[in-house]
Amino acid sequence: MGKLLSEEVKERKSGAVARIYQWVDERLGLSEVIELAKKKEVPEHRHSFWYYWGGITLFLFLVMCVTGVLLLVYYRPGDEAYESVRQITYDIKFGWLIRSTHSWAANLMIGAAFVHMFSAFFMRAYRKPREFTWWSGLVLLILAMVFGFSGYLLPMDELAYFATKVGLSIPAVIPVLGPWVADIIRGGPEITGFTVSRFFALHVVILPALFIPILIFHLILVQKHGMSVPDGEAKDVRTIPFFPNFAMRDLAIWLITLNVLALLAALFPWKLGAPADPLKPAPMDIHPEWYFMSSFQMLKIFGQLFPGAVGEFLGLAVFTLGLVLWFLIPFFDPKTEGGLRARATMYFGLFVLGVLVITTIWGYWALPSTK
Amino acid sequence: MNYPVWNVPYIGSGLVIGIVAIVHVLVSHFAIGGGLFLYLTEKKALREGREDWLKRLPGYSKFFLVLTGVVGAMTGVGIWFSIGLANPAGTSTLIHNFVFGWATEWVIFLVELSLAAAYYYTWGRLPSGVHVRLGLLYAVSSFLTLVIINGILTFKLTPSSAWLSVAGTGKEAEHFFEAFFNPTYWPSLALRTLVCISMGGVMSLVFFSRLDSEKEGEVKRGLIRWASLWLLPAFVFMPICFIWYLSMVPESQRELLSLGISTIGVGAFTQVTRLTLIAILTTATIVGVVYFLAFLYPRDFEFGHAIAVLLLAFLATAATEGAREMLRKPYIIFDYMYSNGTLKSAVGKCNEEGYMVHSPWKINEGMFESGNLRGSLVMELGRQMFLGQCVSCHTVDGYRSMRDFLYDRDETAIGNILAMMRKTGEGSPYSKFMPPLVGTDEEIDALKKYLVSLTSPSKGKGVMEVTSGERELQGIVKGN
Repeated sequence: MGKLLSEEVKERKSGAVARIYQWVDERLGLSEVIELAKKKEVPEHRHSFWYYWGGITLFLFLVMCVTGVLLLVYYRPGDEAYESVRQITYDIKFGWLIRSTHSWAANLMIGAAFVHMFSAFFMRAYRKPREFTWWSGLVLLILAMVFGFSGYLLPMDELAYFATKVGLSIPAVIPVLGPWVADIIRGGPEITGFTVSRFFALHVVILPALFIPILIFHLILVQKHGMSVPDGEAKDVRTIPFFPNFAMRDLAIWLITLNVLALLAALFPWKLGAPADPLKPAPMDIHPEWYFMSSFQMLKIFGQLFPGAVGEFLGLAVFTLGLVLWFLIPFFDPKTEGGLRARATMYFGLFVLGVLVITTIWGYWALPSTK
Repeated sequence: MNYPVWNVPYIGSGLVIGIVAIVHVLVSHFAIGGGLFLYLTEKKALREGREDWLKRLPGYSKFFLVLTGVVGAMTGVGIWFSIGLANPAGTSTLIHNFVFGWATEWVIFLVELSLAAAYYYTWGRLPSGVHVRLGLLYAVSSFLTLVIINGILTFKLTPSSAWLSVAGTGKEAEHFFEAFFNPTYWPSLALRTLVCISMGGVMSLVFFSRLDSEKEGEVKRGLIRWASLWLLPAFVFMPICFIWYLSMVPESQRELLSLGISTIGVGAFTQVTRLTLIAILTTATIVGVVYFLAFLYPRDFEFGHAIAVLLLAFLATAATEGAREMLRKPYIIFDYMYSNGTLKSAVGKCNEEGYMVHSPWKINEGMFESGNLRGSLVMELGRQMFLGQCVSCHTVDGYRSMRDFLYDRDETAIGNILAMMRKTGEGSPYSKFMPPLVGTDEEIDALKKYLVSLTSPSKGKGVMEVTSGERELQGIVKGN
């Protein structure tokens, strides 16, 4: 058996660095953590690329935490929301960069989470013993989308105001409870400074309080069960150590993600529209963020097929049913490769992916041109 | 008509130059750094008796010859074509000042290309000592091309007070050396040399990352580590050289770097700041990725990683060159010629006598009758003003779209903007990065009417489509 990594580190480091490392190691047990990480193996095969998407999502979440805290320094919820975001964007040094990075990271994170979810789905990573990993991941994605929805209103510009108004009309169609729920979220019959305060509390306190423990739970499960090997790959597939090999590749991917993020934030900075004016008519092309476009378009389609509240309610019901089925997939396809259920699950996944992509493109295509 | 107007729809002529130039800069810097890499690697392999390294070098020098000889040379010629079309006045000034500089560079370039070919074809045919010296000759000749072109490039930002004192008098060539060895010459040469060395390392990582980790593990380990070390000089000295460079840049231009720190407001020129941020981050990432992946785990360094590093190098080059070009705004040659070709000294004359009278396009011929503008040609005059003074940086519908800038603005608002743009210095916030708008009141009014037509619901016509006014003007000139 070779030397322990801690011994190697001690040998490699000399003088002050070695002494500092030893001092910290004796108190925190760094070597044990490193040894544990070194023992963990990651399968390597032709689909390994998809393993990185969870890490990318996590990295983008961390970026959002850091930039979110920086934005908190200057952001003022309530009636001053717009003015504070105007100052951040146009007056405060690098304020525009922090805000752009936060907004772009949010969009990229949801995009990466979708890729991560579908790659886990098609690699059958929801099967025993990873059911809870699948469910916690889905909850995290839904929470991330609520994060996006609540954050979108905070600048309180024209687009945010009307997009939120459209967004809140969706739960309002639920019979009996719908209007009441919408009123609770809004803080009244209209979107005002009170709504911004509620969304702010949701965005910076309630959602993180829910998100972070579930994220930790998800990560613990990933560590406990390791990466799943997809069907079709040999069971004795080659593995590489998590540390340093996989971790170093992950680090490189994180650095590249950071560059993509910086490029988007710097070249396409997030703009601020005119202040929200409830008396003005909504812009012709008002629409939700891209990750809600599919559900928005499906509701529109159902609304056209079944005019009135029935259509909207039916749309919502179909969407909810789809989500429930997506949750229950581990029960429908618990076995290993080749079975009828495995094939049916794959077709279901392809169908869901196709519907999401097509309705999203259709939604943008159908927007009225304002130019 | 002396010059054609080169209007590239949607992307604009500036961006065409940018795309060609970025590829050229990347390859030409590799031509210099890679040459040095080949020479020093062969020498090191011979000295240390590394036969396995020597076996891989002919393949590398073939890759080097093809890439630099084909892509480098083609994009070099491409820059000439594109700058000549996009900014004929600026290109003409450079040629008139540096004709002997360029002639020298071309001679050295021929020597460089011949030596690169000779170096590749003589592997195993010349005694090793002679072959190494051939590599040294190549490295020196390629570096000399940088020594020359660097003088001409830096001249545009800091043409030197001696040259500026005689600019436009016909005696400019008397100050060739002051213009050539201008204030930013040395820091720029140092910066570019560091970039060349880094590019030698990056491209070598791309080439050697394809070695098989299982079968050729030891040689891969050695060569990848050696190539990684080539990024070390840039890591250590680039920040110092960058500060040195900035200290030599005129203060008015240095301010452009800080314009984008606090705002992205409409009308604020923030590109230099944003591009500089990208350049710093991508450069730091390259150093990080190369250290953590290539240097620490050379056998695991794969082709995909190397391509990622190369893409980052492409981004860093694009951002750095873009920032450097924009740092000169509103000039194409600092304090002498604006980016749309208008001479700084001609502003007053153009305002008094008219832009069209002094325009190199001479399209005013036939536009006026007894000193008065023909009523039916107002829109055509406006379009020609737009072509002459705006299209070197703006397009109608694409990059820096004029229609987007004007969106929702009525005639009064457009008139106010144009009035502000006629002012210089503190009178206009645009004067820091845009040339002053020149012309008589009648010409400015015609431009306003043309710009208003771009915002109308019918959206006006594309700037290069033949208009009825243009047909009428051609008829008048031909005497029909």
